[in-house]
Amino acid sequence: MSGERHATAEELLAVRDGEGSAWAKAHAAGCAECGGELYRLEQVRSQLRALPAFVPPRDRWGVVAERARRERRQRRLSGAAGLAAAAALGGLLLVAVQGTRPDALQAQTTLRSAMARSQAMEQVLQGVDPDARALGGEAAGAVVDLQRRLETIDARLGDPAQWGNDPASQAQLWNERAGLLSALVDVHTTHVAYAGL
Amino acid sequence: MADTIPLAEAQSLVARARAGDFGALEHVYRAYERSVYTLARRLTKTPEDAEDVLQETFLEVCRSLGKWRGDGSLWGWIRQVAASKALMRYRREKLRATEVLADDAAAGSTVDVPLRLDLEAALERLPERSRAVVWLHDVEGLTHEEIAELMGMTASFSKSQLARAHQKLRAWLGEEGAGR
Repeated sequence: MSGERHATAEELLAVRDGEGSAWAKAHAAGCAECGGELYRLEQVRSQLRALPAFVPPRDRWGVVAERARRERRQRRLSGAAGLAAAAALGGLLLVAVQGTRPDALQAQTTLRSAMARSQAMEQVLQGVDPDARALGGEAAGAVVDLQRRLETIDARLGDPAQWGNDPASQAQLWNERAGLLSALVDVHTTHVAYAGL
Repeated sequence: MADTIPLAEAQSLVARARAGDFGALEHVYRAYERSVYTLARRLTKTPEDAEDVLQETFLEVCRSLGKWRGDGSLWGWIRQVAASKALMRYRREKLRATEVLADDAAAGSTVDVPLRLDLEAALERLPERSRAVVWLHDVEGLTHEEIAELMGMTASFSKSQLARAHQKLRAWLGEEGAGR
C-alpha cells in the first residue's frame, strides 16, 4: 500500500454502512490497517446495539392518560361549539337573505331544535365520560364506526357548500349527529355493540 | 430495534385508540415505553429529561395517532416522535453554541488524557449532539439524511459528527493506534 493514503474514518464508516466509494472498498479490502479499523467499527456498532435497555424509574402512563383524556374532552367540546357557531352564522345569513317569512322562521326553529338536541346529547356523552373505560372488542369496533360517521357528519356541517342555504338539510345533518351521539352514549353506558342506525 | 407489535395488530390497536379506547393506547405505551425511554436517555442529559421526553412522546402519540399512515412500522413513527422531542429539548436549551466549545475541548483530551473507559462510559462522555448521531445512526438505523432532518443540519454534517465521535470512542476505549 506504499504511496497510497489510508481511508479516513468517514470513508470507512461509509464502507461499513454499505455506501462507501469503490476506492474505499478496494482499499479496505487490501490494506491490513484499514481492514482492521473497519472490523473495529463493525464491532463497536454491534456492542452499541447490545447495550441493555433503560427501564423508566416511574410509571408515567397514569399522567399521560389523564392529560390525553383532558385534551380529547376539550377538543370535542370546542369542535361542537365551532359547528354550532357556524350553524348560527348560517342561520343569520339565511334570515338576512330571506327576511322574516313564516316558512323561513319555521325552518330556523327546526334547525335550532336539531342543534339543541345534538348539543344536549354531546353533554350526555361527556357525562358518561367515554374516555374513562376501556371497551371490549365488539363495542370498541362499534365506537370506531360511530366516530367515523360522526366525523363525516361534522365535515359536512363544517362545509356550507354541503347544505347551502337550506336549513332543512342542515337540520337533518344535526339530527343525524344527535342520533350518532345517542348511539355512542348507548355503547359507552351498556358496553354493548350498537346494531346500527 | 425490532417492532414488538406486528403491523396488523398495530393497525387494529391504533383504530381502537383513535376511537377513544384507552386500553389500546396503554397497550401501545407498554409495548414501547422502554424503547422510548432508552432512546431518550441516549439523546438527553439526565434521567429526568428522559422521563419528560417519554411523557411528551406518548402525549404526542395520543394526539397524533391519525398521522400514522398504517403502512409502515409503528415503532418507526413513535421513534421519530421521541427523537424529535428529545432533540427539541436540546435545541430549546440552546446548547449548540456552548457545545461547540465543549466538543473542541473533548477532542483535545482524546490525545492528552490516557483513558480506558467501557463503552457505556465512553458513550456517555461524548458531547450530546455527537452521542445523538451515533445512537440514531448506529443503533436505531436512521440514515444521515433522516438525522439531518431531525437535527436541522446537513447529511454531511451528520457523517462528520459520526466519524469524529467514533475517533473519540476509539481513543477512550483504549484501542491500539488511537492516534490514527
